[in-house]
Amino acid sequence: MPGVAFVAHCLLNQNSKTEGGARCPGVYSPLVEEIRARGWRLEQMPCPELAFTGLNRFWAVKEQLDTAAYRRHCRRLAAAVAGAVAVHVARGDDVIIVGIEGSPSMGVHVTSSDPHLRGRPTWTDDASELSPGSGIFMEELVERERLAALMEGG
Amino acid sequence: MDPDARCLRVAIVQGELLNPGGRVDALTVLEEEIWGAIQLPADDYPDDVAEPLLDQVAEQAEEFARHGYRLVLIGDRAGLTEALARHGVPEPPSIDPAGEDELRAFLAEVG
Repeated sequence: MPGVAFVAHCLLNQNSKTEGGARCPGVYSPLVEEIRARGWRLEQMPCPELAFTGLNRFWAVKEQLDTAAYRRHCRRLAAAVAGAVAVHVARGDDVIIVGIEGSPSMGVHVTSSDPHLRGRPTWTDDASELSPGSGIFMEELVERERLAALMEGG
Repeated sequence: MDPDARCLRVAIVQGELLNPGGRVDALTVLEEEIWGAIQLPADDYPDDVAEPLLDQVAEQAEEFARHGYRLVLIGDRAGLTEALARHGVPEPPSIDPAGEDELRAFLAEVG
């Protein structure tokens, strides 16, 4: 029986992306439709970058965001999401987390990394910043003690 | 840089209206009318789970409002008014639609 898909904020709201980063105007339909067609319930996670660096932010790699303050912010958001996940796990629902591969915050298996990127923003189309690993929010989410315990129990 | 595809229109939506079984399929209407969505916590979440999520909704709504994005509210959720007020976000135009056509007309009027 289908369960609950916790999806990255921007899948339902491309307005949260950086300027030039949106793939479409509003809802990113291809993935959302696939999830709905399979009968999964949608739950939207907050966008960590939107609330922290705002709508006028530049594109960034993980190293540029990885500060103590941003980690605290992501921990606060992760705690909120973990609370909702716990509600569904307690009901016996299957839960999946859908992030954004390549994102410095929401990447699950692929993030973006470039320890040398700094100073005046430049970005070339052939930049090879994609790297194995999770984004900062995803790291904090899986580190949540409650979520970790639930996943072990599940 | 790629052209900016963002539609600059964001609907804060009752959680159940974005999922199967809701009285209105708001997600399909938002896709057709080209709006983004911020989903409200499910009505049946306990208060201690819903409150931090509502706080996030209000924080993000404040960022969109401050930058002049069009904001609307579709449906409602206990605690939202207070969360928006805490973040200084004026209550957006709202609708509790009985059907997709009513929602479509509302979005066309405000959008």
